[in-house]
Amino acid sequence: MAEASAFSASGEDVTHRPVEVDEAGLAPPRGLSPSEFDEFYDIDRIAHEVSSGGYKRTALQFPDELLPDSVPIYRALKRRLETDRELYVLADTSYGSCCADEVAAQHVDAEAIVHYGHACMSKTYRMPVLYVFGKKPADVQDAAEQLVWSLKSSGDLPKRVVFRHYVAYTHTAESILGALRRMLSTIDIEVLYEAIPHCLDPTSSKLSLLTSNGLDPQLRPEHVPIPSQSNESDPILYVGPENLGLTNLLLTHSSAPIHRYDPASRTCQLESTRTNKLLMRRYAVVQRARDADVFGILVGTLGVASYLPLIKHLRQTLARAHKKSYTIAVGKLNPAKLANFAEVECFVLVACPENSLIDAKDFYRPIVTPFELQIALQFEPTWNGKYVLDFERLLFENAALSSSEDHMEGKRDVDEPAFSLITGKYRHAKRYGIEGTDAGVGNGLVRSEAGALVMKNSAAAEFFQSRTYKGLDVRAGMDAPSVLEQGRSGIARGYTDDH
Amino acid sequence: MVNFTVDQIRALMDKPTNIRNMSVIAHVDHGKSTLTDSLVSKAGIIAAAKAGDMRFTDTREDEKERGITIKSTAISMYFEVDKEELSAIKQQTDGNEFLINLIDSPGHVDFSSEVTAALRVTDGALVVVDCVEGVCVQTETVLRQSLGERIKPVVIINKVDRALLELQVSKEDLYQSFSRTIESVNVIISTYLDAALGDVQVYPEKGTVAFGSGLHGWAFTLRQFAARYGKKFGVDREKMMGKLWGDNFFNPATRKWSTKSTDADGKPLERAFNMFVLDPIFKIFECTMNFQKEKLFSMIEKLDVKLTSDERDLEGKALLKVVMRKFLPAGDSLLEMIVINLPSPRTAQRYRVETLYEGPLDDESAIGIRDCDPKAPLVCYISKMVPTSDKGRFYAFGRIFSGTIRSGPKIRIQGPNYQPGKKEDLFVKSVQRTVLMMGRYVEPIEDCPAGNIVGLVGIDQFLLKTGTLTTSETAHNMKVMKFSVSPVVQVAVEVKNAADLPKLVEGLKRLSKSDPCVLAWIADTGEHIVAGAGELHLEICLKDLQEDHAGVPLKISDPVVGYRETVKAESSIVALSKSQNKHNRLYTKAMPLAEELTQAIENGKINPRDDFKVRARVLADEYGWDVTDARKIWCFGPDTTGPNLLVDVTKGVQYLNEIKDSCVAAFQWATKEGVCAEEIMRGVRVNVLDVTLHTDAIHRGGGQIIPTMRRSTYAACMLADPSLQEPVYLVEIQCPENAIGGIYSCLNKRRGQVFSEEQRPGTPMFTVKAYLPVMESFGFNGDLRQATGGQAFPQSVFDHWELMNGSPLEKGSKLEELVKSIRTRKGLKPDIPPLDSFYDKL
Repeated sequence: MAEASAFSASGEDVTHRPVEVDEAGLAPPRGLSPSEFDEFYDIDRIAHEVSSGGYKRTALQFPDELLPDSVPIYRALKRRLETDRELYVLADTSYGSCCADEVAAQHVDAEAIVHYGHACMSKTYRMPVLYVFGKKPADVQDAAEQLVWSLKSSGDLPKRVVFRHYVAYTHTAESILGALRRMLSTIDIEVLYEAIPHCLDPTSSKLSLLTSNGLDPQLRPEHVPIPSQSNESDPILYVGPENLGLTNLLLTHSSAPIHRYDPASRTCQLESTRTNKLLMRRYAVVQRARDADVFGILVGTLGVASYLPLIKHLRQTLARAHKKSYTIAVGKLNPAKLANFAEVECFVLVACPENSLIDAKDFYRPIVTPFELQIALQFEPTWNGKYVLDFERLLFENAALSSSEDHMEGKRDVDEPAFSLITGKYRHAKRYGIEGTDAGVGNGLVRSEAGALVMKNSAAAEFFQSRTYKGLDVRAGMDAPSVLEQGRSGIARGYTDDH
Repeated sequence: MVNFTVDQIRALMDKPTNIRNMSVIAHVDHGKSTLTDSLVSKAGIIAAAKAGDMRFTDTREDEKERGITIKSTAISMYFEVDKEELSAIKQQTDGNEFLINLIDSPGHVDFSSEVTAALRVTDGALVVVDCVEGVCVQTETVLRQSLGERIKPVVIINKVDRALLELQVSKEDLYQSFSRTIESVNVIISTYLDAALGDVQVYPEKGTVAFGSGLHGWAFTLRQFAARYGKKFGVDREKMMGKLWGDNFFNPATRKWSTKSTDADGKPLERAFNMFVLDPIFKIFECTMNFQKEKLFSMIEKLDVKLTSDERDLEGKALLKVVMRKFLPAGDSLLEMIVINLPSPRTAQRYRVETLYEGPLDDESAIGIRDCDPKAPLVCYISKMVPTSDKGRFYAFGRIFSGTIRSGPKIRIQGPNYQPGKKEDLFVKSVQRTVLMMGRYVEPIEDCPAGNIVGLVGIDQFLLKTGTLTTSETAHNMKVMKFSVSPVVQVAVEVKNAADLPKLVEGLKRLSKSDPCVLAWIADTGEHIVAGAGELHLEICLKDLQEDHAGVPLKISDPVVGYRETVKAESSIVALSKSQNKHNRLYTKAMPLAEELTQAIENGKINPRDDFKVRARVLADEYGWDVTDARKIWCFGPDTTGPNLLVDVTKGVQYLNEIKDSCVAAFQWATKEGVCAEEIMRGVRVNVLDVTLHTDAIHRGGGQIIPTMRRSTYAACMLADPSLQEPVYLVEIQCPENAIGGIYSCLNKRRGQVFSEEQRPGTPMFTVKAYLPVMESFGFNGDLRQATGGQAFPQSVFDHWELMNGSPLEKGSKLEELVKSIRTRKGLKPDIPPLDSFYDKL
């Protein structure tokens, strides 16, 4: 192992680096008695599901904040299961810890995943997932009273309201719902609710739990389903903390007022006041995407259902708009990773809904969601405030949309410059992937005015031309030959003679 | 009755020697549009009786309502000049028919950009000066601009009727006032004189100054009086003109001319100007206003003025108007002055080509421009876009400098970013129709040859505001126009109804097109920002946006001001930032640039496209830079042209050239969003002192360097006493003495600083000049009107960026509060990030 030097670290710090744990996470209070512990983690239910499901190998996936409890859980489960059932603990997922990490699970050839902690409830692609959300305490009576009060004080009373909650409150959901129904039935308000499922299975009949109302799963708009008889503007009563899940809820239900009760602080407020601000911020990002000619499709999930058709669809859409696209698998995003792709002008992130919305402040280039890209590529960007994060719904809507787009194509002049809202000027979009626009000349090499060979109609070549540094300068005859000296050895992570 | 046909005009278009392209420019309310009416009525487009009241060139509803011009309006007119006058024209002419393309421009400072756009396409300017108010701030601005574009001025001193009727001045006082005004005009002209233009100072005795009243429709130059008296005295007309101005006195007793104001006996003599020019005018005024009709009629008979019987029945001002208009018709005098003294395109383009054309002066386009050759390759400059009746479509309005434009053949449309040999910002399209701009309407014409002003249909979608049209593949662009105003006042607009968003976007595009100066963009918060030169400008733009361009109800925020971030000192210590992988370190320091250099960059005097050796020499000689440093400027920022510099002062660092692109990209990013409030940076130099880089290229790629360089720049700025600069207006206020107290109290409340207060000689009017922060200027006009009983009229124009007191890093300071409010508005965390988020310990 290389010595730590002033110049490069030994790499040792990785093992000592403190992991930032979400304070408001789902870790149980310390010092639970064994029975409370079992209760908190649903040990009995999981053991039952695993044995009844007949899974030989099961992966237990933990987020960072629950990792300390993985060993007791493993032991507790192991005690309850037959000996031929194998359990594996997965940690440090390559994408967001809210998604089931199917790829990691496949490494151990697992047949099912038990996912602990915060979950985004994205539909999986390959294997069944059992969820353990943990059990956060909530004052049922207070929650119901405050929500109703907030609803009443916000003016017109609706006919229906929808009750939703954060996954960690699933255990108290029924009782809060009961309390709400009791209170609201007196003023003729119907409360709609659909339970969050404890397990998702992409193949088996367990989906029927999701589709009990008879809708085709392809058309399901939400991961956590809203009862189908509700309409878009029904107020939503939400129990849970402020997190990304709530942000997504706000974005996707921009027309509905959302009242949120926070069990931790025991307060209730109307959240949807900031929806407009959120949407506008995203709209600004969409405008930046409109100005881009070269896109990077970031693959930020390998688990969410339909991600492959979506990536394929994105590539096609970009090609149709004569944009250049690269596909990049990145895992967790950080600015340093993406800034390496300097020629990419805008990124599209294909990830689970909770990880899709990236505030690109620290990033060199904007990052948009597939839905936003769709808007950005329209000739006339129309956006009625609707927002879609779900892949399947996106694909479905696009099928309908693209046919009408094609119809439009013929009418407009392809050369017409677009008005860029970022600069307030006209922008002449580059058009990539057009074969042989000039008679007889394809995408081959041509000689530029300076006499150098340049690729025509190639994004990479154009970018290369614009760089000042183009690789090693040949300084033939300018330097005296130097004396041979001993080079360094080792690998880039740390050389043996690093200084 | 229009006394010409489009065919006549079209025929004249082929004679560039007989074309005069001219703009009417002046301070606000000095009477441009009213005077223009005289010419328009002379051309028979409006009735003579209506001239002066109609303001034919004010075409918009709000222009009529407010009584100010907002957009410049072009009109083409055909005139015949007396054959006798032709001899006075000192340039080549062909016949006595003339085509005058006149552009009436707005006078309010907020719309100065319209004036700039008008000046570009004209060769001469009629500068209107109010005889009471004299030369004002905007008079100076427009004169300066016209001289910068090599446009020859002639002057008319307007509103002489006011001096006579309201101020009741004596003849000599009036003469003195005239000569003072002319002198101040000439002072400005000589200050900004361009040698290539020759002597363009104005002299009444040379016929380049007229006097008159647009409202009453009369005006004269000394030529006309010289013609009258020349015959009488048997003196040559030119000579007579010389006698009629300056210290020339006529002794009626001896019938001798003298240059002394007293005769041999010491008796005072009357000045020739007073005696021969002012006297008849004074007498007419006196008789009319004192109801001495008989005396008047006998007098005007001697002057060859014939009245109809209806007109004889008029009284007072109405009679005065008729008499004066018949005696000294404004249209005739102006026309004569314009035709004789202003250059034709053929004359003007010869000396204007070098200031107009960016390319080499010996290419085919430059030669075509120089010769105003209709057979040369086309070169046409589009200076603005004029809305058509078809919503969302525009006429591209411009001047043909070379060649002939017609509908059909493909032409090259080169936007402002076009560079010869490249394809960017270039479109090859054909024009659908060419039209003649006739104020309120247009007339289609077949084609249009060099030297003319034209409107083009069907290419508006390829041009945002300006552009160059050409048929030559080697043609460079025409130089872009420099505006004297900057869009410093911003508002955020929001649609009331989310579904209207696309309409707003389309509306903003149209608004950007229709106004040369307005800017529209979207902020990171998703707010649509519209920026204009001043409150009035924004008000008009937003009204247009709401009612025409977007046509949807909008929510408009209070106006806000864009600030600039800068540093006040050199970084106290070297700022170090490490890359994410800790393998690369960047050491930088920030320091302020000299204000003169900052301005030189902003004015384009020093720009990134200069040859670096030449630039280094200028920086060393004029701005005291070290030549070695000056040669190693990596980039300007933001947008690669801004007034911040990234300088490489490292010594012998390996791989440095490899990270240059990354550093440049990061510097653009950092200067666009400064460290304190994410405002644009200004006047900051960042030195890269040293760099340690990982030996493997993969570990020093853009991903590691770009974020690090950004952080390092921020850290360097944080360590260099960061501060903000705010935009400051120069306010000029004209008012009577008793209103001055109100002005001072009003300015004091708003952090204004008066730096000059002068009485205009011969009038009770005072001119107060002050600096007023733009931030404090909202509602200033209204307050001032209230404080002074409506007697004071301010004109505010952006002047400079002023460093603000205090430090944003000091808790509880005013500046910190301001930064917090900006950050909150932008949806950022209210506190400035601490230094250690950018600065890494060794």
